[in-house]
Amino acid sequence: MTKSIEIGRLLRAGTTGFVVGCRVSQLDSPSFGALVRVPLENSYQIFGLIHNIQIDDDGLVRQLVTAEGVDEAIIADNRINRNVPVEISVLSVGYQEGNQIRHLLPPRPPLSLDVIYLCSQEEIRQFTTSGRFGYFRHILYAKDLPISELLASHIKQANAAHLAVGESPWIQTATKELITLLRDDYQTLTTVLGSLSDVLEG
Amino acid sequence: MWRGCLVSLDFKQLHQQVKQLGENAVIRQKHLQNLRVTARELLNQNAERASQLRKKVLMVARNVDPDIRCALPLNEALNTSFPLPDLPNTATVIAADGSQINPNRHAEVNYCVINVGAIQMSYSSSTPPRPTIYSELLYDEKLYTPRGMLTEGLVALTRDLNERQVFVELAKEASENPVITFTDGPMELWGAKEPPGSLTFQESLHKYLKILTQLQKLNVITAGYVDKPSADLVIRLLEVAMTPEPDLENIRTSRPLRGVTDRDLFAQILSEGKRSAMFSLQSKSAKEYSGPLALHFFYLNVGQHDHGWIVRVEIPAWVAEDATMLEALHAILIHQCRILGGRAYPYLLHRAHEVAVVHRDEKEQLTQMIIQELRRRGVQVGEKSQKQAVKDLPGRTSYG
Repeated sequence: MTKSIEIGRLLRAGTTGFVVGCRVSQLDSPSFGALVRVPLENSYQIFGLIHNIQIDDDGLVRQLVTAEGVDEAIIADNRINRNVPVEISVLSVGYQEGNQIRHLLPPRPPLSLDVIYLCSQEEIRQFTTSGRFGYFRHILYAKDLPISELLASHIKQANAAHLAVGESPWIQTATKELITLLRDDYQTLTTVLGSLSDVLEG
Repeated sequence: MWRGCLVSLDFKQLHQQVKQLGENAVIRQKHLQNLRVTARELLNQNAERASQLRKKVLMVARNVDPDIRCALPLNEALNTSFPLPDLPNTATVIAADGSQINPNRHAEVNYCVINVGAIQMSYSSSTPPRPTIYSELLYDEKLYTPRGMLTEGLVALTRDLNERQVFVELAKEASENPVITFTDGPMELWGAKEPPGSLTFQESLHKYLKILTQLQKLNVITAGYVDKPSADLVIRLLEVAMTPEPDLENIRTSRPLRGVTDRDLFAQILSEGKRSAMFSLQSKSAKEYSGPLALHFFYLNVGQHDHGWIVRVEIPAWVAEDATMLEALHAILIHQCRILGGRAYPYLLHRAHEVAVVHRDEKEQLTQMIIQELRRRGVQVGEKSQKQAVKDLPGRTSYG
């Protein structure tokens, strides 16, 4: 079994999503569209998709960018020693109780300082093959998010997880499901398919 | 006058006074400008008279005003300037700063914390600077001196001592030479709220001199960095220079260049990256620092791109008299100031401040930690004073 990669701890949460704080040194693991999980008590865990990674500035960083060239040591000092606020926003897309994965919003959100892990390829396969893509609804309803980019990025990562064990038809099934869900929203469907084609070509 | 309104300042009253301030400022600016020109002329006229001026100041200190506080010229011409030397290939640079939680008799528990933050950087590698924090909790008997409760002045004095002690510890472990250390503020130990000559100040001074001696033995380049200095040490020297010998008996009250600062003077002389001539310090308290510990200083233009910024750098004699040490310090300070771009201030000093500063929520957290520990052991915890409790009520607050 592969070791779980911790990407940070929970800062704040609601039913539809949560925000994770992490150190800059942890930032090489999470990526836009990645599936994450927050294990809670009694075999209950929440799944979510990363839809935003925000790196805030502060007064010193603003000042440093005005200098002519910044030494490697100073960059490292600011990234490693200083409390650079990095926030990862996650859209809740389902939860697990016991062995049952549901593509519904979690009954209760995670709590402050809960640890958030990146899902392994096995966990991605389990989550994306449970039910019939019910979690796509949560993405499509999140009108404030870059839906097509988020879907494309997620599908690319999930497809890689399925291909790793030779399960090639997953992406076709996922695409068909999206076409069905968006059959009455031609504009969104076009942009989603456009983003997906970029993923497939890549 | 109390007005019972929502602001604490009476802007109607202040408006008239601000207008008056503006009118005076125009006249004063012109007056000061003339004095600055005079000061520069005096500096040039006396540039090569360092030896005579030195004698004259020492004579004033001996016969007229033992408290006179001014610059003592050395062998360099007063108006000379030194260009920016090359950075040393290797160096360990350490900056330290301190902060404190002062004792507060109004709080539930009375304690004090002295916090020193230091940060150490190697100039031969790109590894990130290494921060270190030293936190010391003072409580019970440690809150008392033989003369009563620990005052804020004594806490500040101890903090200053601890900052320098940290240099000794870190310099011993440094793997790369030269070791350059600096703190924010003058090198002279300043017991602002403790009367100089008091037992506690003398004890602190004794410890401080011991620490400086340790730094000297370790061959450490140490300095105090004074940003936006308001001192008029060289100006005072020029006032002595311009006063005819028969009039020197009135020098204590004679201030013909009052209002002009050394910063004003050297802003006219030092171009980007250059340092001034070296001076030693003539003052009553400076006598405590003798031999290799004698206090010296120079001015340095740390600004760039036609935006000059004059600072004062205080150093002990063992640094002032060693050209290699002096050049290394000069180059490192300019490099440190340039890291922050338009805000010419040593990067490591700012970081040391960030590391050391005790935030309000941390103070509250520590107070709660102490209260919990006392309660766990069945010790009765006091209450806030009524005054503090009322101040802490949520709602509108004002400054001051």
